Amino acid sequence: MSEASDLGARVALTLCFEPLAEQIGSLRFALSDLCKPHLGDPDELSRVLLAAHELLENIVKYSTGSTAEFHFALERAGTGLRVRLRTKNCAHPERLADVRRRLDALRAARDPVSHYDDLIRAAAGRRDGSGLGLARIPAESELELGYVIEQDCLILTAEGMASQKAQP
Amino acid sequence: MSELGLRALSGDGFQAAPALDESRLMLRFSGSGDMNAIDPLSQYLKQVHEEALRLSVSEVSCDLQQLVFMNSSCFKSFVVWIDTVKNAEYGYRIRFLTDPNLHWQRRSLEALRRLAANLVTIETPPRTSQD
Repeated sequence: MSEASDLGARVALTLCFEPLAEQIGSLRFALSDLCKPHLGDPDELSRVLLAAHELLENIVKYSTGSTAEFHFALERAGTGLRVRLRTKNCAHPERLADVRRRLDALRAARDPVSHYDDLIRAAAGRRDGSGLGLARIPAESELELGYVIEQDCLILTAEGMASQKAQP
Repeated sequence: MSELGLRALSGDGFQAAPALDESRLMLRFSGSGDMNAIDPLSQYLKQVHEEALRLSVSEVSCDLQQLVFMNSSCFKSFVVWIDTVKNAEYGYRIRFLTDPNLHWQRRSLEALRRLAANLVTIETPPRTSQD
């Protein structure tokens, strides 16, 4: 992700922090306050916040290091806005393999909503975890999800376009 | 009909208040369904199902108008509950009451309706003059 100061960012946020569950709600509210003046559609704001929440929970649940990274940017792109989220955290090899399998399946799926529906049906029988958090991002947020695994670290990205609030 | 044997759920930032109205069990959720709510909600929905069976209700109504967010793990608790009702010998309908200003609800609950279209309904109650 580009540095916060370039590309005419309306909002740019970079956090390096020890991920704790009780921080997520506050971060979601902060992002809401930061983005609300710029996003033209409350539904789009809701979608962005949902993606941010699921990505943040993902690092809280699975991060093995003492710190993780969260980057958020809302940038001008043509007449609209580009939303970019990125997280980076270290994780156990089993978790990295699981994420790779899940996100490759998601990428291979023709329709993220149908794929999500399949995972929902499977989730009813799962004992541990929901297996839904990452798949929910493209299905409900309509952001494109990507990943890179670098040694023992997982980098997740979610990107998409949003409409800009008309300026008075 | 027996008295309601289900207590309110009062967690840190997440609450559920039950009430019984004739043959309908009503649950009013409030707060935010995030990581702290996962286990309490999962256990609570098991109790809801047991109570719904004990009381032989025809419907459980979940009012989510004060629930500002629900994460995927809390969402899964509803998936498990709906799946349990689907497979139960005695079933009941599940009605979700939503707030259109909480935009996540439309998409997330629509996924629950697709899971059990003949069981789940989603409604947006008309706003009263006090709203």
